[in-house]
Amino acid sequence: MGLRDFLAGLIPRHVDVYTIDDFSIEAPETVSMIKRVETVRMKPEISCEASKIYDAGEITERLKARAVNVKISGKKVTSKTYRIKRYVKEDVKTHRHKLAGKPKVSNMTKQIQAVPLELSNVIKSMKKRPDSLRNEAVLACYGPIVEGGVLKLALNKQRGTLLVWYKPGSRQLKAKYVYLIRRLGLGGKPEWRWE
Amino acid sequence: MAANNTLGYIIIDGSEALIRGAALVTDAKGFPVDFVRTEPLRPDQLSRILYGESFGKYAKEKLVLESLLDAVETDPQLWICNDPDILAPLRANSRIKSVLLEESPHVPLDAAGHIETTADLGVFLIQANTNGAPFRAEFPGGVKPDEIQQTAAILTEAAQTMNILEPFARVEKALNFLASGVR
Repeated sequence: MGLRDFLAGLIPRHVDVYTIDDFSIEAPETVSMIKRVETVRMKPEISCEASKIYDAGEITERLKARAVNVKISGKKVTSKTYRIKRYVKEDVKTHRHKLAGKPKVSNMTKQIQAVPLELSNVIKSMKKRPDSLRNEAVLACYGPIVEGGVLKLALNKQRGTLLVWYKPGSRQLKAKYVYLIRRLGLGGKPEWRWE
Repeated sequence: MAANNTLGYIIIDGSEALIRGAALVTDAKGFPVDFVRTEPLRPDQLSRILYGESFGKYAKEKLVLESLLDAVETDPQLWICNDPDILAPLRANSRIKSVLLEESPHVPLDAAGHIETTADLGVFLIQANTNGAPFRAEFPGGVKPDEIQQTAAILTEAAQTMNILEPFARVEKALNFLASGVR
């Protein structure tokens, strides 16, 4: 028994049963289930500010990043603002540089009292020689020297100067000139004469 | 000389790399009654950079000169220096008559004690010795005429018993001796 006979037996009235051979039904429109998604680059412009602040030996480095507003498909999307602070604390040593200061001062009076006065020969600048030396050959003249205060005299032959050591504490103040002379005609040694 | 018949000498020399100074006070004979000297001042490169071109003048005035004046125990009746940089500060800080004294090539003036003006402001010729050329004496700005007269009188009286410029060479010799480290 075919299908037709089977179906005719189930239905009490006469039903014409036709065999449909032609499925000429218009094919349904199919739609792809894959959605096309428009993509918008979400990468925002980021402005960064970085500054280094030197303060009392501490470096504070602040980095601030901020997203700007981004519009997607006509809807205004406000992004959150993130503020990132990064503090970098480092042990930075500061050095206090000592600039040139006042020098140490020493009192060395005793030491310099041992340094002799060094007098130059002033024979060329003498306006006139003493009358008592009129008959002498004057080789050199040194002064003024306080004769009563002299401890020692020495002639520096190389420099032609006279070294004078005074007695410490001497209050003598009568000054004279000392002449190095050679008596004319006698051919003797030079000698010193106070005038 | 006056009752306080002493003369004071200030010597500050050296370059910016090494500055030293000394102050000597002598009696009427030129014999030392007070002598102080600074340790050599050796400013480092950074100090010289920070102070710039004025460092030399600053070091002479503020560091060396003031230290010397603070340390000197005997005030002379006249300070004599040989450096124009320290003449005015010497007068201002010590409040004692001050003069920059040098030999001059000028012919001798008429007599000891004579003063002659020059073309330079504040500079005079002073005939202190009976023999030889007058001194070239430079005074700090604003000096009064009577101070010039008093200075000339002090120098003339001192010249009777000592060679007035000789202590400069002696101090220089002493500083070199002390710097050599030989004691």
